[in-house]
Amino acid sequence: MACGVCAAAAHAQGNYEIQVYGADTVAPRSTMVELHSNFTAEGHPAMGGVAATNHAEHETVEITQGINDWSEVGFYIFTSEQSGLGVEWVGDHIRPRVRVPEKWRWPVGVSLSTEVGYQRALFSPDTWTWEIRPIVDKTTGRWYFAVNPALERTWHGPDVNQGIGFSPAAKISYDFTKQITGGLEYYADYGSITNIASLRDQQQQFFPAIDLNVSPKWEINFGVGVGPTSATDHWIVKGIVGRRFDWGKQKQ
Amino acid sequence: MKLTIQLRPEGGVRDSTASRRAFLRNTSLVAGALLARGPFTWTQMMAGAALSAAEPGAKPDTTLEISEIEWELAPKKKIRTTAYNGQIPGPLLRVTEGKPVSIEIVNRLDREEIVHWHGQWIPVPVDGAMEEGSPMIPAGGRTLIQFSPRPAGLHWYHTHAMAHRDLTRGLYSGQFGVLHVDPASGDPGQYDQEQFIVLHDWEPYYTASNDGSMMVSYACGSVNGRMLGHGEPIRVREGERVLMQILNASATEVHWLALPGHKFQVLAMDGAPVATQATVETLRLGPAERITALVTMNAPGVWVLGEAQKAFRDAGMGVVIEYAGRAGKPQEPGAEKPAWDYRMFGDATPAARTPDVTIPMVFTSRFKGHGALDEWMINGKSWPHTDPIVVREGLRHRLVFDNRSTDDHPIHLHRHNFELVSIRGAATSGVHKDVVIVEAGTKVEADLVASNPGNTLFHCHQQDHMDMGFMALFRYA
Repeated sequence: MACGVCAAAAHAQGNYEIQVYGADTVAPRSTMVELHSNFTAEGHPAMGGVAATNHAEHETVEITQGINDWSEVGFYIFTSEQSGLGVEWVGDHIRPRVRVPEKWRWPVGVSLSTEVGYQRALFSPDTWTWEIRPIVDKTTGRWYFAVNPALERTWHGPDVNQGIGFSPAAKISYDFTKQITGGLEYYADYGSITNIASLRDQQQQFFPAIDLNVSPKWEINFGVGVGPTSATDHWIVKGIVGRRFDWGKQKQ
Repeated sequence: MKLTIQLRPEGGVRDSTASRRAFLRNTSLVAGALLARGPFTWTQMMAGAALSAAEPGAKPDTTLEISEIEWELAPKKKIRTTAYNGQIPGPLLRVTEGKPVSIEIVNRLDREEIVHWHGQWIPVPVDGAMEEGSPMIPAGGRTLIQFSPRPAGLHWYHTHAMAHRDLTRGLYSGQFGVLHVDPASGDPGQYDQEQFIVLHDWEPYYTASNDGSMMVSYACGSVNGRMLGHGEPIRVREGERVLMQILNASATEVHWLALPGHKFQVLAMDGAPVATQATVETLRLGPAERITALVTMNAPGVWVLGEAQKAFRDAGMGVVIEYAGRAGKPQEPGAEKPAWDYRMFGDATPAARTPDVTIPMVFTSRFKGHGALDEWMINGKSWPHTDPIVVREGLRHRLVFDNRSTDDHPIHLHRHNFELVSIRGAATSGVHKDVVIVEAGTKVEADLVASNPGNTLFHCHQQDHMDMGFMALFRYA
């Protein structure tokens, strides 16, 4: 997951972009435009000057431009809509990413993304954050595996002294047909890597999810997440719809 | 003017396409060296009633040694692969139509191998396809084969071993070379030099295709075993007529070849003269396809004869053409993939042929996962479960290739060729081939006059498709 606006443990998770990254990057001369729609059916109330997540609808626009066959840059616009606040701009992030080119013929896909950005204090007490996310994935037959052991750092906000936070994500899925893939996604925030939070203060989320592979130009993902710990929003419905636009001549 | 494709005795041949005399001298040296080495398993095959028996120990006309080599595609690009006689491509084998030739094949690998004589109308035991019944050459073994080459034209030889998931084997390797069969008689044609151009892709890897299944891509490519800029340029003079003998020896890729400022007059395809010698700016060659074309050198300069698609050219698929007295940065093709239609080379007025038998062949695939190669089927079945296709000697069989998949397929029939009858429903005649690309979602009809009894393998020449079941056997009734 690029948990676009993640505060540390014990804070409500920013449910803006809920996605386990694969190692692929967007092809050069292509642009991927995605809309992430996440509704928190059962979340946290407002507290400490931070808006509630409960019944909040978060819409995130992600625009990713392929640079070459081993790099891309992504840009995020986060918004939130909820009763009493209306539609609000939350913040923006930028995310460059590099990958091991396929022609290196590694047995697994490997890439590394870094994400930096700002989010308003109304939605996250940590306003400037940075993340580095190694990504390893593997497709074998009908199975797909991906792990994203992300590390986060707050640059401005109450958690600035917390140090490096550990927020892993993982996914396993199975191709039921060429068009339908079902799987389980896992997202977590364990707090500081040097001082792991207690279980109740950790964020833990499990999303049974479906990917629809209707066209190479479209990306469709849908899932329902459950958060079993008290620090986690308990029920979230997420959806991703993406469309790839190709510009100019594509590599064959 | 039509040209009979034949080597002009005094025609210039560059070093990489050594003369027959030099070739025989070199292979005799190899043979001598082999005799001095350790023992081998000896198998022997003969073909052709007119041939004399080849006794064990008899001296062959030529020897092919299969071994693992390190090959320099470019100064900083060395690969390990398997090849014939330590070189890529393998030695140019130049033989005469109808004149028996004996070839010793020595397998220095630790696994079985087999050599297929692509385009030759020869008997099953020497064709080089285990599915037909040709014997494999055991690990560390040798075999002596004899056959009478036919038909004349540009053909080739290559491994017919399966690769499956091993991207070092089969046609992913360097086991390929040109077999040119000179006609026994005829007009040698008018040209000043002859060049053999062999395309190949290297360092294969699996990647996701646009249709959601796995496919094979490549890190680099070569012409005559060298990446662009690292082989000897082809040196020409203004006004020369260069006969280009072009072979796509790629395991899976269709290639488009262009030479900016010049045009190709296509004389033959898959070794067979075409009905109309159309002139084109770009050639399309599917895996295993061959084109013989005449290029008049009338644009002095330094050029790249290479893949029209920049990505492939950047990966190394090209060779420099250098006019005498000219220097500078080679100019690269600007075209990409123009329309290509085999009918350009057919009769102006297609001849109507009436088949004796019509054989529908439907090509489909079965999804095996986004991390797997698709399974391929002919009429709903995958090799080795495909139904045999029964043909009768002397009859005209209309083969209806109905490609219902999302991939193009270079379809190949062993030991025969066929005449194209229709492409996408449009009639044609006069184009005889042993490989035809059947584009995704289209139909191609071709007539086979069954004239070479024995099991005959039919398959897609994409290595990964063949490995995943795209094969069937033609049997004579």
